[in-house]
Amino acid sequence: MSLFHIVIYGSLLIFIVAILARAARIMRMPLHLRWELQPVPHERPGASTFERVDWWTHSRDRSRFGELSIMIPEILLLKGVWEHNRGLWFASWTLHFGLYLLIGAMVVILLHAVLLVAGVLADAFVPVVLAAVTRPLAIAGGALGTVGAIAMLIRRITEPGMRRYATAGHFVNLAHLGAIYVTALLWALLDGGFVAETATLYAGVLTAAPLPSLPLIGYLNVAIVLLFFIYLPFTHMTHFFTKYFTYHMVRWEDTPNTAGGRLEEKIRRNVSQPVSWAAAHVGANGKKTWLDLVADTGEVKRETEEA
Amino acid sequence: MPGANGKQQPRSVRDIGRRSERLAHVAVEELMPLPAPYDVSEDFPGIAPLKDETRARYGASATLDDTLAAGIPQPATEEDERKIVEAFLSGLRKLFSRENNWTFLQPLVLSMEHCARCQTCAADCPVFEASGRNELYRPTFRAEVLRRLYFRHVKPGGAWYNTFHSSGLELTYDLVARLFELAYRCTLCRRCAQSCPIGVDNGLITHDLRKLFSQELGWAPKELHNKGTVQQLTLGSSTGMNKLVVKDNIEFIDEDMSERLGWEVKTPWDVQGADMLVIENAGEFLAWPENHGCTAAILNGAGLSWTMSSEIAGYDGVNYGLFYDDVQLARVATRHFRIAKQLGVKKIVMGECGHEHKALGVIADRVGLDLVPRESLLTLVRDIVYSGAINVDPSRNDFPVTLHDPCNIVRNMGIVQPQRDVLRKICPQFREMTPHGIRNYCCGGGSGFAIMSPNNFEQWRNLISSRKKFAQILGAFADTELNDPEQKKYVCAPCSNCKGAIRDMLDFYGAKEKSGIYYGGLVELVVNAMAGAAEPILDWEMM
Ligand code: SF4
Ligand code: SF4
Repeated sequence: MSLFHIVIYGSLLIFIVAILARAARIMRMPLHLRWELQPVPHERPGASTFERVDWWTHSRDRSRFGELSIMIPEILLLKGVWEHNRGLWFASWTLHFGLYLLIGAMVVILLHAVLLVAGVLADAFVPVVLAAVTRPLAIAGGALGTVGAIAMLIRRITEPGMRRYATAGHFVNLAHLGAIYVTALLWALLDGGFVAETATLYAGVLTAAPLPSLPLIGYLNVAIVLLFFIYLPFTHMTHFFTKYFTYHMVRWEDTPNTAGGRLEEKIRRNVSQPVSWAAAHVGANGKKTWLDLVADTGEVKRETEEA
Repeated sequence: MPGANGKQQPRSVRDIGRRSERLAHVAVEELMPLPAPYDVSEDFPGIAPLKDETRARYGASATLDDTLAAGIPQPATEEDERKIVEAFLSGLRKLFSRENNWTFLQPLVLSMEHCARCQTCAADCPVFEASGRNELYRPTFRAEVLRRLYFRHVKPGGAWYNTFHSSGLELTYDLVARLFELAYRCTLCRRCAQSCPIGVDNGLITHDLRKLFSQELGWAPKELHNKGTVQQLTLGSSTGMNKLVVKDNIEFIDEDMSERLGWEVKTPWDVQGADMLVIENAGEFLAWPENHGCTAAILNGAGLSWTMSSEIAGYDGVNYGLFYDDVQLARVATRHFRIAKQLGVKKIVMGECGHEHKALGVIADRVGLDLVPRESLLTLVRDIVYSGAINVDPSRNDFPVTLHDPCNIVRNMGIVQPQRDVLRKICPQFREMTPHGIRNYCCGGGSGFAIMSPNNFEQWRNLISSRKKFAQILGAFADTELNDPEQKKYVCAPCSNCKGAIRDMLDFYGAKEKSGIYYGGLVELVVNAMAGAAEPILDWEMM
């Protein structure tokens, strides 16, 4: 196993572990109070739960289709940005869609590599098709992403609101993404061996077999991508997957707390924790639990005083 | 601080911590324009300057902008300032701890760590827009202050890395004092959260900031805390009415309603085993007594088994804890549940009060374990009207009517259609605002603003946070004679706080005198349409 192997495995490992740790950290946070926000797409349009008299006696009809009909246009077309911030849409869509295309190219290369490892001949039908789509996908992704990174950079500098809230981190992220797109574009565009090299590279990574030598632009691209893998999980760019939580665990999370229901145990755990807020009216002492504190609504004391 | 275009506004997030005379100022010419006859800026001179004594007493907290919603007296010494900064820091850490903020930790962290600073949310904030886009009121401004403090002082990780993301924001006393004030320049309407493509919620960030100040430093506007939840939990109601006074008032309301309708209206009290406990916003009994009278008339007319409670807090559905303090929120809700259990009712029906709906109907769902089902009066009234249990004659409501959607009932709970169904049946000239339903604009009185009027805050509210709603109301009546006060127009606002804000804005802009625009709730329209009533409930002279 070469040093190159170790660098690749190490970067992928950091990426996977850091992403899983981040997801686990979020998922392990306590059940929060309800904070849903309309539209909640799994509800029946025109008849949301609370629009029915005695709503708790009706079954909750949840429509997965409703959720997908919001998520797909949002992910693929950035519908929210189109509707609420059209001036940003072009930069944002090109930046994101370029990445989708590059990820698509990587998936195709991976499939190609799996077939090679499995012994399917390179001139068989499927590998030929995969090889045929790899380069166009990579070129389109690289080109679109490059345009997006430049457009986003211009927007971030010229739109006063975006400029005012930009931190150094934003420009580093953008430069990093831009470098991925430009190097991917140049590699796919200028190197005749791009398809074969990438498929062999992935196969080599899958099997720990010797890795092909790459042109300089190839090494550059791989290095920048690996660095991105290491860096990404620690940035706000993790919104690519945490968005799932903001939608499914907050905006669309409307499970009612019913007696004997699945939330009860979690709520019991929450309210049994000691609280240490310092304001006098809270009455916390680090030992009293939330339940102790909120159960004291003052009437016992008042009744004694009145008596 | 003069920024771009000569506007006085922060140039960067860092300015909030730097001592200066005033961070932002909105001149009347910078405000979002209104249509004629409300377009003459001389008629609305802008926000009167704070008094010198107020400025002197409140020091840094009075240097945020033109107004002072709560304010903290300036500490006497630098040592006192330092102690406050330390207390703030301690609260900041608790805000991100599982034990102390299990209530909102997950949504808060998600919102802290994933904002792309894309500013998609900005265009949808009525406060930011109405102010003429003053930077101080941009939804991300206060969120970014908290975010940078979080990265610098709380989030585990390399100091270097976190500094890189916090862009050198210094935690000073001035920052703390101004941030407290700034937490009361957002109505928590969550319109910005709806448009965030990532699901970041700047309204929640403001909510949790308020909570930090209240639960750790004991800082909260007196209208919400001392006169609000504390008074409700000790006296029985944030209005200050004890049970004797409230029963007396209701008796008077019932008598008046009976006289006007020509049949008896009677409110049942403390009926053990009734089907439903009705809890309204007690402010109605004083400010809009006919709202309770009409509710009672409808429930009686439909022959339902209902009761009110004279227990402490049992006759007041407000829960200002929703706006600033989770512990107080839970205490009020716990009280409501306990009373309902003691009466043995099957459900609690929440009157025309938006934040009661949100607090009791949704949030309280997870604050404890001994719950009672809650439902909206709007839904119940829709079913009553459509069941034919009461007889309505729409021709009695033949004037232009538009509907305001209270954020807490509509955007936050999805109760959109019932109130519309009712209006379509009983108001021949019903028309929608643009936009409406879940994309409505806040009345400007959300999050407690409707009941807060210290110093010149009411002017700020009417000129800035209510401005967008006022423009919407004018838009809804654009096809009528806006210059004709004799043509009566009605804004239906099925929420007490919204009604308070709408009342104030209509007064402030002189909309009744200039345009004949009046306001009220939903049940008033229903009863006004009741066939056979001796006299109409809507008395334009008295409104
Ligand atoms: S809150 Fe959302 S919309 Fe606003 S700047 Fe952050 S990511 Fe963009
Ligand atoms: S919650 Fe409403 S008022 Fe507050 S920042 Fe968002 S849009 Fe503006």
